[in-house]
Amino acid sequence: MNGAIFVLTLRQLLGKRRAFFMVALAALPVLAAVIFRLADAEMSPQRWTADDLFEGLIVTILLPLITLVFGTTALGMEIEDGTVVYLLAKPLRRFDVIGAKLAAAWLPSAVLLVLSTLISTSLVLGGDNSSMILGFTIAVVVGSLAYCSVFMAASVFTSHSLIGGLIYVFLWEGVMTQLFAGTRYVSVRQYTLGVADLIADTSRRVFEAELNGIAALVLMAVVSAAAIALAVRRLSRFEMSTSA
Amino acid sequence: MTAGLRPPPGTAESATPAIRLEGVSRWYGNVVAVNKISFSVGPGITGLLGPNGAGKSTILHMIAGFLKPSGGSVEVLGSPAWMNREMHRRTGLVPEREAVYPFLTGYEFVLLNARLHGLPDPRAAARRAIRLVDMEQAQDRETGGYSKGMKQRMKLAAALVHDPPLLLLDEPFSGADPAQRLRMMALLQEMAAAGRTIVFSSHILEEVERLSDNVLVIVAGRLAASGDFHAIRRLMTDHPHTFALRSSDDRRLGAALVADPSVIGVELTDGGLSVRTSDFGAFALAAPRVAHDNRVTIFEILPADRSLESVFSYLVNR
Repeated sequence: MNGAIFVLTLRQLLGKRRAFFMVALAALPVLAAVIFRLADAEMSPQRWTADDLFEGLIVTILLPLITLVFGTTALGMEIEDGTVVYLLAKPLRRFDVIGAKLAAAWLPSAVLLVLSTLISTSLVLGGDNSSMILGFTIAVVVGSLAYCSVFMAASVFTSHSLIGGLIYVFLWEGVMTQLFAGTRYVSVRQYTLGVADLIADTSRRVFEAELNGIAALVLMAVVSAAAIALAVRRLSRFEMSTSA
Repeated sequence: MTAGLRPPPGTAESATPAIRLEGVSRWYGNVVAVNKISFSVGPGITGLLGPNGAGKSTILHMIAGFLKPSGGSVEVLGSPAWMNREMHRRTGLVPEREAVYPFLTGYEFVLLNARLHGLPDPRAAARRAIRLVDMEQAQDRETGGYSKGMKQRMKLAAALVHDPPLLLLDEPFSGADPAQRLRMMALLQEMAAAGRTIVFSSHILEEVERLSDNVLVIVAGRLAASGDFHAIRRLMTDHPHTFALRSSDDRRLGAALVADPSVIGVELTDGGLSVRTSDFGAFALAAPRVAHDNRVTIFEILPADRSLESVFSYLVNR
């Protein structure tokens, strides 16, 4: 990994407006948790946390949106405006460029998601169910790495990665996986839920993922590694547009 | 301005040209951007001259390793340019696109480039490069607030930070005011005098005339002419040229043209007239006047010398 690119990318990503928007997004689950507590609902806190807060809000919306923005912007923005030439006209291994960009996209994604998950689930569950809180938190950390890898690879291949990412998240993962069971094997959302299920010690009535935890972890590693390898390969053969 | 200029490392191997293109083509889909171009470039300043869209940037990008040639070979400092990241240790590139990182100060931008090159003392290298382009007074301001000319100079500093023997510049003077332009030109001339190879592209004839020892005229993706600028100019003006004309009355126009001092011969051909001239500038002025005086309409006037046609059309149309 290249430290100079890592720091540069963090500065690029954490511009005032983007940072504010991302923090606001990450605050939503906390807000939802506060409302749940105040509303004194009759629903079991565990079930609400697992179904609505974690799966419904954090994994379905927050995780893909935050990683989509950071993952596609970290390198995609430089490709778009042409500044990537300053990185590529250097004797650097392309793996180091991708590694630094990915780390810089992953770090703020993971920090926001961990804080959001930890605070919101703890608010609802209190001191109990620590394995559930831990499982959900670890799941968003590894899930954000997989998403960032995939979205970054997409940004090296197409300038429409943001739109492509939205279609993947909301059409493929949102709709197709509901209709066709087989598609869960190519869904980062399902991998994330599988990892959460693997670590969280909950009864099946409370939370159960569709994918086996170990399979989810392996698939997640394979997909992330493949995305990184593809991005490195593509960047090694990157052709610069000559239009000004 | 002269502070810090050192002879470039690696100039001893000047037996092989710094850049060599052999039958290089590049096409985008069905569009041919560069068509079977061959040339070699050694130390000194070489100008790639041609109108916008002629293929200059495509050629520079292939030399910089950012475009794969569709055919032929591009060698830089003895190695193929494509997918050769080690080459960047010894080349500096000033891209045409204006974008820099707007949130970085000029100093931070040049320092970043020094760090990415893995230089042993990046801070000293950045300071030296900024001093070379005379931008010390603005180095602590964010580049987002720079004028285009200032950005060009900081981009040049970034390209010079590792002291490369080969420098590639894509339209480096665009946006620079006359004083900045002169300063940059003087700097490039100093660097060339120190033995570096500098290749820059421009569509401005005067820039190339002023700066280049060697000119490559690119028109419509082809190398239309190459060599010393003044020789190309002479070739264009002194060399007898043959033009093919079609008009409403070729015989009458021919008879009138032969009386003009710029014309040294007229011949009636199948499709019109073939006119030889020793001074194409005077002929370009005389032909319409003579036609008008004799009430003849010229439908077409083309240089018959195909090798010079594109240079002619470029230089004359300016």
